[in-house]
Amino acid sequence: MSGGLPKALPSTGPHSLRDMPHPLAGSSSEEAVGGDSTPSPDLLLARSFADKDLILPNGGTPAGTSSPASSSSLLNRLQLDDDLDGETRDLFVTVDDPKKHVCTMETYITYRITTKSTRVEFDLPEYSVRRRYQDFDWLRNKLEESQPTHLIPPLPEKFVVKGVVDRFSEEFVETRRKALDKFLKRITDHPVLSFNEHFNVFLTAKDLNAHKKQGMALLTRMGESVKHVTGGYKLRSRPLEFAAIGEYLDTFALKLGTIDRIAQRIIKEEIEYLVELREYGPVYSTWSALEGELAEPLEGVSACIGNCSTALEELTDDMTEDFLPVLREYVLYSDSMKNVLKKRDQVQAEYEAKLEAVALRKEDRPKVPADVEKCQDRMECFNADLKADMERWQNNKRQDFRQLLMGMADKNIQYYEKCLTAWESIIPLLQERQEAK
Amino acid sequence: MEPATPDLGRLLQPSPLEPLGHTDAGLEAVVDEDAEGVRDEDVPGDQTMTENNFWLKKIEISVSEAEKRTGRNAMNMQETYTAYLIETRSVEHIDGPSVLTDSLWRRYSEFELLRNYLLVYYPHVVVPPLPEKRAEFVWHKLSADNMDPDFVERRRIGLENFLLRIASHPILCRDKIFYLFLTQEGNWKETVYETGFQLKADSRLKALNATFRVKNPDKRFTELKHYSDELQSVISHLLRVRARVADRLYGVYKVHGNYGRVFREGKGKKHQCVIAFLHAPYWGPGPQLSEWSAIEKEMGDGLQSAGHHMDVYASSIDDILEDEEHYADQLKEYLFYAEALRAVCRKHELMQYDLEMAAQDLASKKQQCEELATGTVRTFSLKGMTTKLFGQETPEQREARIKVLEEQISEGEQQLKSKNLEGREFVKNAWADIERFKEQKNRDLKEALISYAVMQISMCKKGIQVWTNAKECFSKM
Repeated sequence: MSGGLPKALPSTGPHSLRDMPHPLAGSSSEEAVGGDSTPSPDLLLARSFADKDLILPNGGTPAGTSSPASSSSLLNRLQLDDDLDGETRDLFVTVDDPKKHVCTMETYITYRITTKSTRVEFDLPEYSVRRRYQDFDWLRNKLEESQPTHLIPPLPEKFVVKGVVDRFSEEFVETRRKALDKFLKRITDHPVLSFNEHFNVFLTAKDLNAHKKQGMALLTRMGESVKHVTGGYKLRSRPLEFAAIGEYLDTFALKLGTIDRIAQRIIKEEIEYLVELREYGPVYSTWSALEGELAEPLEGVSACIGNCSTALEELTDDMTEDFLPVLREYVLYSDSMKNVLKKRDQVQAEYEAKLEAVALRKEDRPKVPADVEKCQDRMECFNADLKADMERWQNNKRQDFRQLLMGMADKNIQYYEKCLTAWESIIPLLQERQEAK
Repeated sequence: MEPATPDLGRLLQPSPLEPLGHTDAGLEAVVDEDAEGVRDEDVPGDQTMTENNFWLKKIEISVSEAEKRTGRNAMNMQETYTAYLIETRSVEHIDGPSVLTDSLWRRYSEFELLRNYLLVYYPHVVVPPLPEKRAEFVWHKLSADNMDPDFVERRRIGLENFLLRIASHPILCRDKIFYLFLTQEGNWKETVYETGFQLKADSRLKALNATFRVKNPDKRFTELKHYSDELQSVISHLLRVRARVADRLYGVYKVHGNYGRVFREGKGKKHQCVIAFLHAPYWGPGPQLSEWSAIEKEMGDGLQSAGHHMDVYASSIDDILEDEEHYADQLKEYLFYAEALRAVCRKHELMQYDLEMAAQDLASKKQQCEELATGTVRTFSLKGMTTKLFGQETPEQREARIKVLEEQISEGEQQLKSKNLEGREFVKNAWADIERFKEQKNRDLKEALISYAVMQISMCKKGIQVWTNAKECFSKM
């Protein structure tokens, strides 16, 4: 990644939430806010909420009641995820400690969300709250609404279709936890999304449901305006770069789909292989019981095969839990990205249509009407945001896939190493000459 | 009588039944260098080589070729069969050159004939088994077709192994029919039939009968029979499951080949176009898109080379499983050996039953005699009945009958004695060969397990290598 933040692109229109001063940004952006115009009403609104309602009865316990980890070790854990280029991170979020809640109406799992931050947007340096899946879902919807020009990371699937999956099994919960953790970390890494008010509320509010009910319409100016873009305009042609992205996403999604299918097939074959191995090993034991001198060697072979079976089981479990979900996540990601592209098209279409309408009116007025200008701004902002996000996404994708595939290779290497150890250890046993009778 | 070098001891003893042993009894098997699966029969052979000078020549046997033939069978119908070339070489001295002395073609049925003959003439020997007639325990990649070249090749090796086993057996190696099998192409079948061995064969029915009715078999044989039943069952099971395991393993490896294909697809035309667009100057100011396309290219390259390794992985399974077939063949030999063990046990049961019947017959005759002599009728007999009905016989008649009985009794006692002796000889010799067999089995199977473990180790190492290479490619993404 070349630069940390996407450079602020020149814009003539009113400032979006994006231009809110980043604590670490250079003085230029601060000037931009202070100098050019008064902060928009939206920003003020956001601010006031920040001042009043977010001072919640969090009590005096910053890191929550049931935290086994000390703050420093938590920090260490979070810092391991830091991969950005030297940028000083000031926000750390972790998802862990799933717990089952049994109520009269339903049973569900909550996860502990731990936040550490030095940002001014956070009143306390540390927060610890519990959230359930539908809270994440709420957050994502809100982000999509309020930041339509940005790529919002995907959530793990809501429902699991594959067979009868136990929603409360350790494996399922752990897989989901990892995905939710990834989700929040991606938002944390995003220079714009991480400052989103909804995100803040999600991380800090003791009672999220109260907030949901209040129906905080914390839409930014941009969000409002994009929301009102009617779908009636047809885009003549996508600009080349976006067309290229669109095509790329299509190819990417196809490829992902194929890789997902192959991975599933491999796991299936490995499981069937495992089934046979589990029958194979014990037969050597049965044979061993018949023999005299051969009893030990045969028993040894049986144990060896048993060890290999266990190693194989570990491999398939790992692949199922760690590999497949990430692939699926990226499929969801590219789907939502394509939607954002479409929205962008809408914005451009509206602008072009209005522009054309003006041109057709054949008036001599040199000045372009305000609303057309607004459309142009909208479009340019959208384009800028999108490009920046795509760039970021591309880098993250590369890292994610590199890690994913290296992880897959690693797991296979470990599997073979375990088997190798088992077989090598048995050779001396087999070669042992027994004492002559 | 356990000689220090067991083989040597047995070689000097005459075999108990009709020895058609070749006086030129220097048949010593040395495994052909090309033959797969070096057998440990070498070990006793080596001993005899160095310690025994009166073996005039050593012979090397190999089944070197297999050929498809067509000919006319007994019913004058066209048939296709495979013929195997058997070459015999004699070696003048230990490290000397071998000279081809005999070479002839035999088909599977002739091997069967040889074995059946040996079974009849050496019932106390655990006769080596033939490789399977039809392919069994196949998994999907293997063919069940007898004409399939792989099957023929494995059978060739199996037949060579069969001949080597016989040649290294201290008793069987001296058999004349075996010698002729190796040396006399024409007329050999007739020679075998002329021995009349088929007449000597025990009927299956007789053997079955004996199995059920024998009262006092040697416990060791009963145990051995039980063992061979269990052995047969467990090895069958093992081979069946192993075949399924091989099948599944094949599937796992081959499916990885799909990764190879997909990873390489990134180099397709469409992908190139996309990269070209991304490279275009339209992108405008900001982070250069050459970065984007550079990333894509690097990812693509990394993936492609990883794909190559996945292909290597997928194709490596063919050799691995081919080697494993050899292990399966070693197990199969002992599966079939179980039957040979059972045959020896059956023979013992038959002899024992024969003995018991003879003893019983003798006892009843003696009793009859006694009754006649003393005039008491203790047991029911037809004679007694008719006596009651039609009157007693005359003293002359009785005398005559007693005399006949006494002759029969004396004959019977002789027979019983010789049968007893025979039986004991059989037990002694059979047990000696069984001990020899047990040691051979333990040696061979241990070797087989070791080579199996070695195969697995090699497979694991290859796997580690391939995935390490792939990992390196991924790391360059």
